[in-house]
Amino acid sequence: MITWEYPPRVVGGIARHCEGLAKALVSQGHDVHVFTLDFPGTPDYEESGGIRIYRTRSEVGHPNFLTWVLLFNHFIEKRLADVSRLADFDVLHVHDWLTAAAGISFKHFSKKPLVFTAHSTEHGRSGLHIPDSFTIDGFEWWSTFEANKVIVTSGAMKGEVCGHFHIPDNKVEIIPNGIDPSKYDGSVDKGAVRARYGIQPHEKMILCVGRLVPQKGIEYLIHAVPILARRRPETKFIIVGDGWFRDHLEWVANTTGHRWRITFTGFISDWDLMAVTKSADVLVVPSIYEPFGIVALEGMAAGVPVVASQVGGLTEFVEHDRTGVLTYPRNPESIAWGIDHVLSNLGHAEWLVKNAREVVQKAYSWEAIAKKTGKVYKEVAGRKEQT
Amino acid sequence: MSYTPLPPVPEEYKVLSMMHNIGAVTPERSLTPDELAMWTGIDVSTVRDCLERLKELGYVEHIEVSGAEKYIVTKVGIMKVLTLYS
Repeated sequence: MITWEYPPRVVGGIARHCEGLAKALVSQGHDVHVFTLDFPGTPDYEESGGIRIYRTRSEVGHPNFLTWVLLFNHFIEKRLADVSRLADFDVLHVHDWLTAAAGISFKHFSKKPLVFTAHSTEHGRSGLHIPDSFTIDGFEWWSTFEANKVIVTSGAMKGEVCGHFHIPDNKVEIIPNGIDPSKYDGSVDKGAVRARYGIQPHEKMILCVGRLVPQKGIEYLIHAVPILARRRPETKFIIVGDGWFRDHLEWVANTTGHRWRITFTGFISDWDLMAVTKSADVLVVPSIYEPFGIVALEGMAAGVPVVASQVGGLTEFVEHDRTGVLTYPRNPESIAWGIDHVLSNLGHAEWLVKNAREVVQKAYSWEAIAKKTGKVYKEVAGRKEQT
Repeated sequence: MSYTPLPPVPEEYKVLSMMHNIGAVTPERSLTPDELAMWTGIDVSTVRDCLERLKELGYVEHIEVSGAEKYIVTKVGIMKVLTLYS
């Protein structure tokens, strides 16, 4: 497995995805080697739960982003070559374009099949407005071209990948993201957690978790705050995460006249994230682009009613008024309506939560995801290498 | 409802991401403001202003190496940079 992020180097969903998948693959008898980038305070090699993790330091850096990417790929490729003297890999699995160059080179060197998971596309994330985006788009196309099989996490992503990169339908497999619902089994002192974030017992805590970047649509949630406050003055909003867009979002929050209702927490620990998710009254996922939307799935597993945008992969597991509530993307009125809809009928909200939990346990356990991934590995490993 | 156009990435985050990409994440690869200015092509006074702001935010750390004023990106700073790229 080759990935630019792996815990504790966690940016978005890819690190969690790779960790969950690797653990489940190991439990199903696979020998998993993870090649990733270094992170301060972590060893350059460790075995954790049967997973062999190789963290590679880029010995040379460069301020330019794409040059830096090529440089770290070079060092990961060297590490792959070193380790391959001792380990005979059957399949290479690259996650996203950032480590594709190393994976593709090593595919040709080792004559082993390549699986590429496209977690998102540059075209979908930010559009192709600047030269770097065209280069990234090219890398993504190259990755899908070189891969023996492409994995995407939703039907929406399959449509995007097949349409944009013009690759055949039967080359792309849909395997959703998974989660570990057991991490929400422990008890949490919800009153204490809520108090820590300034939520009084009579107030409602509306939670939003994600990277603070434009595609997460958090600006539209912030614009929904004054609309909802007119109907429900007891609501407060906790926004968890960080990103380059944070300053702008805080500025938008300042313009609402309701800044005191909104708390930006920045990055928080895994335990705090679990505790705050379990303690929320509603989890909002206001994304305008979302290949999958694992945050919504986490909320469903945690037993929190989910209000999510009707975009991308979210629509494939958030079924409107059965496992959550869908709202129009880029539409603060609709977001406010969705939250109010959940808070207005607590019996209905409990029913949504019950249905959501059933869906999560049935289809999104890592065990199920790893089985599907293992089938893909078997399929490509059984083929003669195509170069 | 009208929305403001997307703002550009703030200058200090550009400096932060360049520091990260250069590899200034460990003391042995820490950089002085002059070295950073040379690497990034940004004038040294702007680099210093950005470093001050980044230090306040906890994204960079000031260290002294052989009496020289140097800077490295913190763990939280690395996470911040990575949000620019995904």
